[in-house]
Amino acid sequence: MTTPRIISILIAALCSALASAADNDGLVLPKGFTATVVHKGVGLARHIAVRGNGDLYVTTHQFEFLGFDVSKRIGIVALRDTNGDHLPEVADHFSNLDGTGITFYKDMLYVSDDVGVYRYRFSGDELVPKGPAETVVNGFPRERTHADKTFTFDNDGHLYVNVGAPSNSCQEKDRAPASMGRNPCPLLDHYGGIWRFDADRLGQTPKDGTRYATGMRNTIALAWNGDVNALYAVIHGRDQLDTTFPKLYTAADNAERVAEEFHRVTEGANFGWPYAFYDAKLEARVVAPEYGGDGRKLAPAGKYPDPLVAFPAHWAPDDLLFYKGGDFPAAYQGGAFIAFHGSWNRAPLPQAGYRVVFVPMKDGRPSAQWQTFADNFTGGNIAGNNPDNARARPVGLAVDNVGALYVVDSEKGRIWRITYRAQ
Amino acid sequence: MIPARVAAIVIGAAQLGGCASSAPPRTGVESGQSAYARNCLACHQADGAGVRGFQPPLVGSPWVRGDAQALATFVLTGGFDSGSRKEGGNENVMPPFRELDDATLAAILTYVRQAFGGHAGPVSAEAVALARSHLAPAP
Repeated sequence: MTTPRIISILIAALCSALASAADNDGLVLPKGFTATVVHKGVGLARHIAVRGNGDLYVTTHQFEFLGFDVSKRIGIVALRDTNGDHLPEVADHFSNLDGTGITFYKDMLYVSDDVGVYRYRFSGDELVPKGPAETVVNGFPRERTHADKTFTFDNDGHLYVNVGAPSNSCQEKDRAPASMGRNPCPLLDHYGGIWRFDADRLGQTPKDGTRYATGMRNTIALAWNGDVNALYAVIHGRDQLDTTFPKLYTAADNAERVAEEFHRVTEGANFGWPYAFYDAKLEARVVAPEYGGDGRKLAPAGKYPDPLVAFPAHWAPDDLLFYKGGDFPAAYQGGAFIAFHGSWNRAPLPQAGYRVVFVPMKDGRPSAQWQTFADNFTGGNIAGNNPDNARARPVGLAVDNVGALYVVDSEKGRIWRITYRAQ
Repeated sequence: MIPARVAAIVIGAAQLGGCASSAPPRTGVESGQSAYARNCLACHQADGAGVRGFQPPLVGSPWVRGDAQALATFVLTGGFDSGSRKEGGNENVMPPFRELDDATLAAILTYVRQAFGGHAGPVSAEAVALARSHLAPAP
């Protein structure tokens, strides 16, 4: 009696496992790539880091829609595979950090929240660090918006921190119809750019940093490109062209024209926020309406760099990773993966983004057209055109020591491991 | 200044007179939906559910279901700074919508209450005008 049932359950489980491997959990990938679910959901996940031994660490947010329950805070999630199948059997969590940035640097785990950057040291092979967090930088003003202090490192001991501007376009009244821009925008003194710190020194404050680049509204996705020894970033473009300046822009203009900008970030660069934005339709940087733009007026020539790639508006680039790994084919080596979290500000037009793209790179520049690498996170339908109803939204990326690419989703904290098998 | 306010009240009263005792005219609801699309939808979304962490939902909001004049005051003066996103607040704060005329704002609020407010009753232009009359003049 029981034996056939057990067998049928086992067969069902096996079929289900095979089906999910075969269909890549619903994700659409280039030929030869496979996505495996390594965790069904750790919570409201943000970014992910992989330790040299393969342990996974994931930052989380813990805000609730209509309130905040501190007891639900899970901080940093730690996952360990113990039998070599890359599916973690051990899950734990530590810290009460509510943040996004997370990266290993010199075998220490650096993490960030809205006001600082911290690090954990590991003793031996422990999954959860027993020691307290050390403060690397602390004291950024706690802002309501664009507050994530994501970061990256160069090879010379520097830490680069995104300090997003707590504003859409530096209007006198944020996001208010016809409200003009403050000129000069005072936020740029302390926000809207990348600040550089000492990667190894503890106890720094924002004043210890130097402004490395400016005119960047919010830059959650930043990474060091070791091939050319330079900082790269994907900037979130401004919102609400049409609701703030309806005489100049339509809802379709808002949904299509403000590029998400992929840049090489050189020291001292100014990318124009809030005075100008890169118009994907005109393929030129135009003066923002808050600063006298009329929908066509170009920003001063040569003042602000053009993007390496102008991605479609409002796709929300939330992580950037230069691929160096033994698993993917040669065409992927040194190229850039970008996780696009997906839009909220394209409505009433269909929301878009919600994918991982790949930009082939050579000598620090795109060497071919970018392509969608991983797609169909939403299952092709977002109920009510509301981003909260998306099945999944890619938000973080990491590579392990054999070259597999991890992608983490923000809605449930689902984690995929993407590998390549030659045909 | 005064003639404009008087005119607004007259228009509001006229509208109230036209629809208070019967079902709101369909045209009013439709123009409310259209005005919602132009002024509100980008943030609160077509389904009125907002965006988690960014803009709050209208669905289930006690403001939307509550007193009509209080709701009008809320929209005319703008939203609250609800604290940081990670303290349970939202990234964005609603700007004041004083530039909307009484009839348009009334139509929007009527639509919002019907669509997202558990069929709470319509908001008259008079209620909006009354709310506006209690505010300090716009700077």
